[in-house]
Amino acid sequence: MEEKELIKKAQEGDRNALAKLVKQYEQTVYNFAFKICRDKERAEHTMQETFLSMVKSIKQFSGKSKLSTWLYTVVSNHCLMMARSNKKHLHTSLDDEDALIDEKSITDWNVSPEKLAENGELNEILKEAINKLPPDYRVVFMLRDVQGFSTEETGEATNLSVPAVKSRLHRARAFLRNELNNTFSYGT
Amino acid sequence: MVHNHKPTCKDVMNHICDNLGEDLDSPKCTEIKNHLEQCDTCQKYHKSIEITIQSYKTYEVKITDDAHKNLMDFLGLEDCE
Repeated sequence: MEEKELIKKAQEGDRNALAKLVKQYEQTVYNFAFKICRDKERAEHTMQETFLSMVKSIKQFSGKSKLSTWLYTVVSNHCLMMARSNKKHLHTSLDDEDALIDEKSITDWNVSPEKLAENGELNEILKEAINKLPPDYRVVFMLRDVQGFSTEETGEATNLSVPAVKSRLHRARAFLRNELNNTFSYGT
Repeated sequence: MVHNHKPTCKDVMNHICDNLGEDLDSPKCTEIKNHLEQCDTCQKYHKSIEITIQSYKTYEVKITDDAHKNLMDFLGLEDCE
């Protein structure tokens, strides 16, 4: 059954259709939530709250945007809200833009991510690196670069202006690249 | 925006971070592309940013059976399995 049909049935009160939509997106939502909320418990909580929002408001869903786009936006806002209420975690400051790009540190990355992923160590390195980013930078990077939102869509989802999205994206990319530099430079 | 100087490596690296995936047809972008084609260091930087993004695209965290069950229970949809 196509997604549009499932949404229509769910809007008419078909619980099986609703359950199918949840199952269709739970992996995607969990994966995304884990990366931006930083741990398993928060990711699970965010996933539950996101789908609860979907269940409550499915009747109002107009279909103008994709359901996945709407779900990513809910996850992002939920994780940002949790991060703002829990300021104990210290993040790296990205204010010093000059320090983010050091020409001396540019080396050739000869190893493919797929090859490194085979030994299972890469995921831990990726997790540690992205966890150091401030939450709003993390969300912008994930929406724009990983999920493929446009700059404008990322701005709408995060309530940031287009220049603010670009600035955060620029710094997040440079920061993550630096964090992975040792791994990819010497991982061969 | 008109630039009177040729872009430096730093300019190019900043530009890569700013505009990867964007439309690159402005005069400034043409200069950047020309620099990139000839500069080994900037090519390495460009490649490393692309690999960074690709790494996060392929990094997937699997939902556990327990998390799935908890979700269906939480939503009251456990009977729809």
